[in-house]
Amino acid sequence: MDLINNLTLGFSTALSLSNLLYAFIGALIGTLIGVLPGIGPIATLAMLLPTTYALEPTSALIMLAGIYYGAQYGGSTTAILVNIPGESSSVVTCIDGYQMARRGRAGSALAVSALGSFFAGTVGTLIIATLAGPMVELAFKFGPAEYFSLMVLGLIGAVVLASGSLVKAIAMIVLGLLLGLVGTDVNSGVARYSFDIPELADGIGFVGVAMGVFGFAEIIANLEQKEGERLVFTDKVGKLWPNRQEFFYAIPAVLRGTALGSVLGVLPGGGALLASFASYTLEKKITRNPDPPFGQGNVRGVAAPESANNAGAQTSFIPMLTLGIPPNAVMALMVGAMTIHNIQPGPQVMSSNPSLFWGLIASMWIGNLMLVILNLPLIGIWVQLLKVPYRLLYPAILVFCCIGVYTINNNSFDVSITAAFGLLGYVFYKLRCEPAPLILGFILGPMMEENLRRAMLLSRGDPTVFFTRPLSLTLLVMAAALVVIVALPQISRRREEAFQEVD
Amino acid sequence: MQIRNAQDFWSGVLFAAFGAFFIIFAREYDMGSAARMGPAFFPTMLGGLLVLLGILVGARSLAAGAGDGKISRFHFKPLLLVLGAVIAFGVLLRPGGLLVALAALVGISSLGGDQFRLRDVVLLTILLALLVLAVFIWGLGMTIPVLPAFMQD
Repeated sequence: MDLINNLTLGFSTALSLSNLLYAFIGALIGTLIGVLPGIGPIATLAMLLPTTYALEPTSALIMLAGIYYGAQYGGSTTAILVNIPGESSSVVTCIDGYQMARRGRAGSALAVSALGSFFAGTVGTLIIATLAGPMVELAFKFGPAEYFSLMVLGLIGAVVLASGSLVKAIAMIVLGLLLGLVGTDVNSGVARYSFDIPELADGIGFVGVAMGVFGFAEIIANLEQKEGERLVFTDKVGKLWPNRQEFFYAIPAVLRGTALGSVLGVLPGGGALLASFASYTLEKKITRNPDPPFGQGNVRGVAAPESANNAGAQTSFIPMLTLGIPPNAVMALMVGAMTIHNIQPGPQVMSSNPSLFWGLIASMWIGNLMLVILNLPLIGIWVQLLKVPYRLLYPAILVFCCIGVYTINNNSFDVSITAAFGLLGYVFYKLRCEPAPLILGFILGPMMEENLRRAMLLSRGDPTVFFTRPLSLTLLVMAAALVVIVALPQISRRREEAFQEVD
Repeated sequence: MQIRNAQDFWSGVLFAAFGAFFIIFAREYDMGSAARMGPAFFPTMLGGLLVLLGILVGARSLAAGAGDGKISRFHFKPLLLVLGAVIAFGVLLRPGGLLVALAALVGISSLGGDQFRLRDVVLLTILLALLVLAVFIWGLGMTIPVLPAFMQD
């Protein structure tokens, strides 16, 4: 059994004392930062990335994966207790989770969310382990034309689920692609758009872009609002164990959420966000006579989206690990992190570095387990953290961001670049342009150009190559179909409703 | 003509301007041919696409039925103080060392909030300095100058 052998290798890597420690530290500080309102997994990952530079690549990735789950889970805690989504994928959890907290069932909501996430994480990990092999084989059939078409599909998929204007989201992607091209062109050696600034010849650092656009812009936007009274359910977390009826309702919801989330996570553009929205809608559709109604603290409204977003978060690793193509902004950051550690993501990682590949997969499960062990007993500490006033929090966040950006290249210029992207991010915030597609485009820009060039070179300049190769054609047809479907009037109205319902 | 959706109108202008910027500066580089693309090829292509998308977004903001999209007020105080603090950190780090840069970052950025309490800011600076020293310098062994340049050997 290959699967068993692979998982054995994985667990032997992940269970080494140091890697266990890194997974633990990752999950711990990920939760610590993720709990803070308004800081999602993207900003958390960007901020904590520097803490992994000194580690060897396997440990660094294990720790980063831990940070990601931690941040994701911390966001749910904030959603339930304060009604502020730490990140977009826990927006849905706010609706029923906060209402449960108001009814004195905060503990139960937190436990359901933790156990549901753990179950979904276990299933997600098994799916990755079984699908990774076949996916890698498929990936080796991919030529440059297929890669290019796949990236087109991925980028289109990413905008379809962005809330708000479709055209604006596509424009953000294109802008991201262009920004990603700044720096020395690998083929000709020309330093593009560097304006004789030596630091720009190496390209714009993606950490700076992510931190500026997500972290700094968010802080400035938060400072616009007066620090109001946040109603935190600190003393009334209540009993952690869900009662019998809640169990009865939650278990099927967890199963449905896990199944839906696992499928949606693999899709290009999918991942945690899409999964949580879709599963909440599904629960509302199929539950007859919900008691209490959805939106007033129904446990299904916590169980399903929380399982779905964790399953989606897991399975979105599949395209990233096997094809080297990130399906969403978080995975784009993971790709960036791998590149910093000199690992070129793609199908060759599994064969050239099996202990890293399977170790990472095994550590995903361990990370999920740690979250359950960590979060339920430590919930009191996270609650205390929510009481820290924002005026003390944001300077601390800035300090860690600035040191993080500086230490990538030991370069002060990168810090100023981050400030510039902070300004741009604030303008985007005012203009209601979603920044996530920009980050995805930014990471994919150089890859897309490289594959476009190769495909066109092989076809001697004939652009029909993208339509004559069956795999490539299939991918492009799928991309076109996505655009058409979303543009259809009745669907676009439904799409707006779906996003509004949650606002 | 009337701008019905200011957010979309200015987004369109911004996208078109970015697109034009990338096209104009791509002219300095070699275009190449479709089979052998030069460094200017892909950026010019994308820049053109971005200009088109920008015009599309802008045009739709003028059409009847464009949703209401007022741009809320820009808050320049937090904007300038937060970003200024970040730039100050970058500028001060090499000559002044980590401790000076950190104090500047915390001090200036704290002015951006709606309440400023000197005592809290000083305590926060000391706490963060100790934390950063423990994690990044002693823990991870990163080579960041800690003391001002004139105090280093």
